[in-house]
Formats: sequence, C-alpha cells, structure tokens
Amino acid sequence: MIFNESKDVPGNIVLEQAVRAEMQEAVTNRIEFLAEYLDASHFSDKEHFRLFQDYLGRKYAGQKLDLILAFPSRDYRLVGELPNALFPDVPVVFVAINEMEVPEAMSKFGVTGIVQRFDLRGTLGLIMRLQPDTRRIVVIGGASDVDRATLGRIEEASHALEGVEFDFWTNRPVAELRGAVKSLPDGTVVLISTVITDVNGQTFYMAHLAQMLAPSASVPVYVLGGWMIGSGAVGGSVVDSEDLGARAAQLALRVLGGAKPEDVPIEVATRGKPTVDWRALQRWGIKESRLPADGVIRYRPETLWEQHKDLILISLAVFLGQATTIGGLLAQRKHRRRAEAEVLNQRTELAHVTRVSMMGQMASALAHELNQPLGAILRNAEAAEIFLQKEEPDLEEIRAILADIRKDDQRAGSVIDRMRSLLKKHDLESKSLDLGGLLAETVALARPDAHARRVNLSLQMPGRLPAVHGDRVHLQQVLLNLILNGMDAMAGNAEAGRLLTVRAETARDGCVEVAVTDCGTGIPPDKMKRLFEPFFTTKPDGMGMGLAISQTIIEAHGGKIRAENNAARGAVFKFTLPANNN
Amino acid sequence: MNLPPESSTVFVVDDDVSFLKSVSRFLRAAGYSVQAFESAEAFLTRLDPGMSGCVLVDLRMPGLNGLELQESLAKSANPLPVVFLSAQGDIPTTVQAMQRGAEDFLTKLSPKEKLLDAVRRALARGARERKERGRREELRGRFGALTPRELEVLEHVVQGKLNKQIAGELGINERTVKLHRTNLTRRLQVRSVAELTRLVEEAGLFKRGQPE
Repeated sequence: MIFNESKDVPGNIVLEQAVRAEMQEAVTNRIEFLAEYLDASHFSDKEHFRLFQDYLGRKYAGQKLDLILAFPSRDYRLVGELPNALFPDVPVVFVAINEMEVPEAMSKFGVTGIVQRFDLRGTLGLIMRLQPDTRRIVVIGGASDVDRATLGRIEEASHALEGVEFDFWTNRPVAELRGAVKSLPDGTVVLISTVITDVNGQTFYMAHLAQMLAPSASVPVYVLGGWMIGSGAVGGSVVDSEDLGARAAQLALRVLGGAKPEDVPIEVATRGKPTVDWRALQRWGIKESRLPADGVIRYRPETLWEQHKDLILISLAVFLGQATTIGGLLAQRKHRRRAEAEVLNQRTELAHVTRVSMMGQMASALAHELNQPLGAILRNAEAAEIFLQKEEPDLEEIRAILADIRKDDQRAGSVIDRMRSLLKKHDLESKSLDLGGLLAETVALARPDAHARRVNLSLQMPGRLPAVHGDRVHLQQVLLNLILNGMDAMAGNAEAGRLLTVRAETARDGCVEVAVTDCGTGIPPDKMKRLFEPFFTTKPDGMGMGLAISQTIIEAHGGKIRAENNAARGAVFKFTLPANNN
Repeated sequence: MNLPPESSTVFVVDDDVSFLKSVSRFLRAAGYSVQAFESAEAFLTRLDPGMSGCVLVDLRMPGLNGLELQESLAKSANPLPVVFLSAQGDIPTTVQAMQRGAEDFLTKLSPKEKLLDAVRRALARGARERKERGRREELRGRFGALTPRELEVLEHVVQGKLNKQIAGELGINERTVKLHRTNLTRRLQVRSVAELTRLVEEAGLFKRGQPE
C-alpha cells in the first residue's frame, strides 16, 4: 500500500481500514499489508520523491509482493512510474479521490483502479433541499492546482442553481477565514472545497479546516467528504470512504484472483451519499424530514430504543410470545367453551328428545295411571249428585266423597307432574338430591308400564342413602331408560320370569351405586363393547341414543356406568354417583 | 229409575282401591246392592252358585287380570255376566273380552248412563240366565229319571223317527219301542211329541259341543 499523504489524513485512515477489512474478510489466509507513506503534502519536492522511491526499492528488494495498492491522491506517479520502476511484474490497483482527469499514461502501465469524484452537484442539491432559503453560497477553496480543479467543478455545478450567489474565497489565508465565517448573514451557507495549500502556501487537510471553521461559523457549513462530518459541519452529499474502500478491495481481490489489470477499465464514480450531522441540524433548526429518503443522519443521540434495542427486542419478543400464548389460550378457551356450550346444548336437546321418546313408550301406561284417579273422581262426583237429589242428603257421605275427590285429584296431579318434569326441556342444573326419593319416584313413574307389561318391578335400598349432587331430571332419565330397557329385554319371558330389580347401595369408595337387574336375554358378548355408542341398538325399533345419553349424563355427574351379564340370566346395568359429603 | 231385582248384587273387582270405592259408592247411591273386591282371587274364593247379579271388573290387575277372571267365571257353576271397566282399553283386548261373552267393555271415564245401562243389562241377563239355568236343571232332573234305553228312544223320537225305524236302528221289537215311549211321556208329564221336543230343547239335551 503506497500512500501519497501522511499516515494521519483523516480521509485516508477510513479508506485504508475499509480496504484492509474488506479484503481480509474475503479470504481465509492472513493477508500481510505493508504500508508506505510519501507525505507529499509536507514534502512536495522532487528530491523527496526520489529518496522515497530509492527507499522502497531497497526496502523491498527480493521481497515477493502480490499486489500494489496505490492511494495516489493527486499524484499518479505512485500508480504508474514508481511501481513500474520498482516492481514491474506486480499488478497495480489504485483508488483516488480527486477531480483530476486520469493521465493518459496510465493506460500504458496496465493498471486499474477507482477514481472517486466529489459529488458537487449532489451537495449543492442537498444544500438547497435542506435550506431552500439559501441565497448565497460561500465556497472556501485552496490555491493548489488540485484545489483549483475542484473549484472549477463547483463553478460548473453552480450554474444549475438559479437565484443563488456563489462567492469563492480562494485568496484568503485560513487564519483570516476563521474570523470571516463568524459574521456571515442569514441566507448564506459555507461550502468547504479542497484546500491543500492556502494562499500563504500553508498546508491543510480539509477535515482540519472544517474543524476550524464550522463550530464558530455564523451560518451552516457544508463539506464534501464523509470524514469531515463530525467537525461541526452540517454535511453534504459526501464521498463515503468506507464504501469506496470496500469497492477498491473487491477490485483488488479480482486482480489477485487472476484478472489482468489492463483488462479491467478504470472506474470513475461520481455519486455521493447525502449525509448530515444531527447536532448541526439541531443547531440550525433544519428539519430531519427535509433529508432525502436515502439520506444518512450521524451523531443522533441514541434513543432509549437505540440504546437498548436488543433488550427491548428481546423483551418485546418475550412479551409478544406471552401475549400470543395467552391470546391463543384465551381463544382456545373461548372456542372450547363455545364448543362445550354447543355440545351441552345438543346434549340437553338430545336428552330431551330421548326422554320424550321414552315417555311415548310409556304413554299408554301413563294414560292408564292418570285415568284411575280421574275415573274415581267422576264416579264420586256422580255419587254426590245422587246423594244431593235426596230429600235429606247425607252430608257426612258427601263430605267423605269430597275428601276422596281431593285425594284423587292430587294423585292425578302427581302423575302429571312426574311426566311433565321429564317432558319439559330442561337445562342441566346441579343440586343436592335425595337419591332415595328420586329412585322411588322414578320407579313409581315406571310402575304403570311395568304393570301393563306384567313385570314385577321392585326397588331395594337401605333406609338411608347419602345425598348426591346432580340434576334430578337427567338422573331420572337414566334410571327410567335402564328400567325400560330391562323390561324390553324380558318381553319374551314367561310372566313369572319378568323380574326387574332396582337396587341402590353405598359403595366403599364414597360413591352410591345403583344397579338395574333384569332376567332378560342378556347382552350378546360381541355387542357388549359397543353398548354405549351412539346409534348402537339391539332393538329393531330402537334409536340407539338411550344408553349413549345415559353414559353422558352419568359421566357429567362424575360417575361411571357399566353393563354386565348376570351369572344366571339377564343383564345388570350399574351406575355410580359420587356421594355428596357436604 | 228402574230398580233392579231385590236379590241382585253388583260385584266390583278392582285393584285400584280408590276407584273401587268410588264406583261402589256410586252404584249404591244409584240403588244397587254392591260388593267390592280388591282382586280377582278374592272374588273367586267368595263366589258361590247362590250369588246372583253381575261382575264389574277392571281389566288390568296384578295376579289374575280381568280377562282371566272372565275365563274362570265362565267355567264356574255360576257364570255371572261380566262388564269390563278399564282405565284404558285397547281394541284387541276389547274384542277378546266381547267374544268371550262380556256384556260390555267400558272405560273408567265412561258416562254414568253407559255404566248404569251396562249394569242394568248385565243384571237382567244374569237374572235371565239364572232362570234358564234353574229351569234347565229342573228338566235335567226329570230327564235324569229315564233309563238309558228310554233316553236312546227319546233321542230318536225327537228326531221325528217312526217307531218302526227306531226299532230297526236299535235292533229291538217295535212293541218294545212303543212301551218305552209310553213310559217316558208319562214320566216327563208331556202329552205330545211337540211338547217333548220343546222340553228336550229347553233342557239342552243331545246338543253336540254343549258344555255341561
């Protein structure tokens, strides 16, 4: 690496580092970089150049070099003559930031490289964009030929701006400039061009100049190089040294990879990158929003977000994850609740339908049960009428008749009540229930039908049964279903063999067990498994819902229902219900 | 209201005590003599040939039901007329009951007029059948005094056969036939063959399939 300037030139430091980093990143083996600095700004005489060349010649004699990377600034001898004289077989790649034409001679040396121009048009455009009220632009330039070349280009670009006055300060020593920029009127901005030497021949670096002028200037100061931002200047459409270094590195890698430099055309790049100093924007009250979309803002204090981005992102991710999980769970629960409600609704609906169908099976028996008291009432009333027709009615007899009528009326009412509670649509409700009473009532309800079918229906239970918790109607339904099934199973039996027993007892595990035992045909072993499946039936006109619903009801009560065949004959259906310990 | 014969009783049989009581009460108020039974068995054990009247019976009962009671009653020495009284009847049962000779088949909610009418008819039929039964038994007593040979001759006589034919069929002398005829008309206290035929008919004699 051969540099025209000294080690300390701010622009070159960024550039050099960018090139090294980019190249080293691209290859696995370590690249050995050797750097030499001509320091032409301080030692510009021919003798110095000759000594430098001799020095390099002696220093690198016998050394195996793979590539010369030249940073010629404005001196193309570092690209052409010098390497050609010292290392004729080593390919040369150069990178330069200047406004000069690439010398014709370069083509005969077979070199390639990148020449980066200052984006003067872009910078003037940025000035007008950020400060549309600008009427005058003071351009501070140097006296060297390079500086004049830059100024010439600025003048060219200035023609594109109408209504803006350009003031070129090229003949003022730097020391004087410091005072001059302090009293510039509003509507004026300063643009720092290249200043290598001022009129007094003093050597400067642009970055240092910007540092000297920008902080104390009464108006915003604009610059051309990225490395000058941070000095107090507002910014400019600047040369991005990092990007330039990376591009140069890629080019160098291509050549190292075997590409012949003479086959790769020299690239001349003119695009800059609109870049501003956030602090300067604040100072001059320039709104960020005026910056073009591709603009870069530097030195903006990090917001809480920027300072703790990772933490915030992680926290946010965790939070979002939790929220999503919670949301998901909530949605799932809602969904499940809705589904459960739907299932429950359908279940109650279905339970009602099966109850009605069960009642239909018992309708004739129930009508019979109802006609008994109604008939008695009718005959009693008729008897009373006859008594009343007598000259001296037997009031005692009539009173007895009325008492009987009342009794039979209550009897009819209770039959209707029993039916009605089962026929009604009914939502599941959970109450403490007297199981014994429930069993007795259900057996009473089924008795007329048992009677009609000549079934001996008996209920066996201890004097005290623990209370259970549940829904009266649904539990009655289960029991009724089992009783009716049992009676169906015994239809083919001789009359003496039609015994159906409902037996309740307290089981050991704090449950109450109710067993309905018949003496019927029993359950075929192959059907046993599917007994509680919906739509499974062994009866020709069965719906297949009774046991399925019974199972649902019992399980909803926290109990179990099962069926088995008796040793002798018939089957027994048993269900358990947790006893209510409260 | 036509009062029933003094000696007739309505026997009510129903396991539903409440209805049993009310219908008995009503029939008593209507002027009938009533006896109530809570089961068919209880009634049948009390049944004796001296009882007259009719039976008002529930169809569905534990133990013997109405139809079974009707059957037992028909086989007994005192086949009282039966009126069925059911909480709810169905057609097949009704038909069966009526085919077996039930006087009527009513529901418990039937209007009282129908009930009283049925009871009245049943009682009348009971009285009539009882009377017929009495007459038949009296005649059978008379016929029972005949010798077997005389009965044989009698059977041929009521079929309108001549003495000569009868003698040929029985393989006996025509004179002997004439002697038997004289004897049996004297014992049965009839004066003509027409009267003899009517009596045989009344007694239910020589009828095939006639239950004894």
